[in-house]
Amino acid sequence: MAACALAIALVGLGLWVLVRRRNVIWKLLGLNVAASGAILFLVAVAHRPQGQPAIIGPEAGPNVDPLPQALVLTAIVIRFATLALALAYVIFLTERRHTQDTRRLEQGER
Amino acid sequence: MSFAVGGVIAYLVLGMAGFLVRPRWLCGVLALVVGTTTLALWAPGFPEEVLGGAPWGIPMVGDTMAFWFWMLTLVIHGAVLWHERARPGPFHPLLTLLCGTCLGTALSWDLFNLYVVLELAALLSFLLVGYEARPRAVWAALQYLILATVGMTLYLVGLGLVYGKLGTLSLTAIASLSPGLSDPTLAIGVGLLLGGAAVKSGLFLYGLWLPQAHGYAPTGVSAVLSGLVVKMGVVALARIGAAFPVGPSLVALGIVTGFGGLAYALWEPDIKLFLAYHTVSQLGYVLLGLGIGGPARYGAVLYAVAHGLFKGLLFLAAGEGIEATGEREIRRLAGRMPGPVALGLAMGSWAIAGIPPLAGFVAKEALGGAVPPPFSVILTALSLGTAASFSRLLPLFRGKGKGAWGGMGALALGVLGFGLWGLAAVPKILHPAPWIQAGAVAGAGYLFHLGLHRLRPNWPRITLDRGTTAILVGTAVLTLGLLLAR
Repeated sequence: MAACALAIALVGLGLWVLVRRRNVIWKLLGLNVAASGAILFLVAVAHRPQGQPAIIGPEAGPNVDPLPQALVLTAIVIRFATLALALAYVIFLTERRHTQDTRRLEQGER
Repeated sequence: MSFAVGGVIAYLVLGMAGFLVRPRWLCGVLALVVGTTTLALWAPGFPEEVLGGAPWGIPMVGDTMAFWFWMLTLVIHGAVLWHERARPGPFHPLLTLLCGTCLGTALSWDLFNLYVVLELAALLSFLLVGYEARPRAVWAALQYLILATVGMTLYLVGLGLVYGKLGTLSLTAIASLSPGLSDPTLAIGVGLLLGGAAVKSGLFLYGLWLPQAHGYAPTGVSAVLSGLVVKMGVVALARIGAAFPVGPSLVALGIVTGFGGLAYALWEPDIKLFLAYHTVSQLGYVLLGLGIGGPARYGAVLYAVAHGLFKGLLFLAAGEGIEATGEREIRRLAGRMPGPVALGLAMGSWAIAGIPPLAGFVAKEALGGAVPPPFSVILTALSLGTAASFSRLLPLFRGKGKGAWGGMGALALGVLGFGLWGLAAVPKILHPAPWIQAGAVAGAGYLFHLGLHRLRPNWPRITLDRGTTAILVGTAVLTLGLLLAR
């Protein structure tokens, strides 16, 4: 329960940074803290009392739920690819527009 | 099922192979052939099957919606493939991968698989929007990326809440538990799922990335994004609607997005942004139909397909017009576009305004005939607004000189063919009433457009921060609504 609350708090913190900061690098940092919070939330949902890592072994005991943990791997890979592309775009925009301030980037140019 | 999955896998493999094989479009053509063959083999559909076996496999369903979206994907891919055949670089491999992802989305039947395919489609869309490396388009792509990621973060949290409560992600398993939303955790979870999918479909106030991303993307990309990719968010909304009782929320979202998009479109001077706002608005019809359910659901699917055809045509024509003249403003384009481009734009506008016998008319009739009275008034109001707003393009229909048809020819044939098919297939369409109504709505829309410049509201400018806030507030409102309605 505490782990779930902590994960949700991370999502909130990340979204707060995303909305409040004007620099696009800060925004991406906030975005990724939020996304990591969502991923940690899935891990926390998989928790079972006294659960062991869900690796098939000789002794059968109480395991954590393996499904969310498998899902999380996919989500992490997607986040990684998206962040990499976002940073590539930020580099491009910094070179062309000489700013990382979102309000200046919004003032148009073809 | 194996044919459908084979088609998706072939698309993805050929998309990857396209990075290595030259000419670059070759693998796209092969994928199109394989996709069409597999569709013919699995049509008209198949019941739910679990790829990889229960309990951990991926459930897939080939229902009417999946069938129609496969048709749409193949037609749009074919048209854009032909239109952009000369584009250099890895454009065609990316396009093939994107279309393959859309084919996969149409079959998906569990919440997490929907997340994966939506994210994959979005990642490819971010790349394609910024493909020409123009600062304006790259900024639009980055905005799209940030807002879409916010949406998908909410979706993932919602998915965790639903899984924690029900212990399954398969839509069939969820529907058989028939959970209702009386449990607060579940209501919040479903609210977040809906909010996330709404961001991906580009609904008004949730997907404010859409106008810029679709407006500044390269010509063929705009056609694919508006015609096809936003529909995948709609598929996700429809699938969530199949598992949970969220019909009223979808109707509310539909009404807001229908009128919100229209309000911005009516006075937009830039032709591609104008078309993009209309994509937002037209999604309102589709969501209204999906939310009401029953026979209206089929009407909504037909509307989504018809919209894909004529909006693809409109975006190809607008993009060609901009490239030929170097102008983006509607009033400056008047009388300057090459002949076929002007004719394509005219056909697309007639179709979207619901003029018989084109695709828009039969789709509007299939949807309008299936919804109960209070909602059909809303649909008529939306159609009137659409007709008014497209009346602004009338001076553009007079072309100048010669030009190539390109992919517009295929989509124009599609718009006409879908209309003729609809005349035979949609019930009660050959009565005089729908024809008179279509004419009356178009005429009233034209008259309304004459007075448009008198009222010129100053809508708030759409920015990244406003877009983010709108997603968070909108999702909170949706969730609160579900909590209070239980």
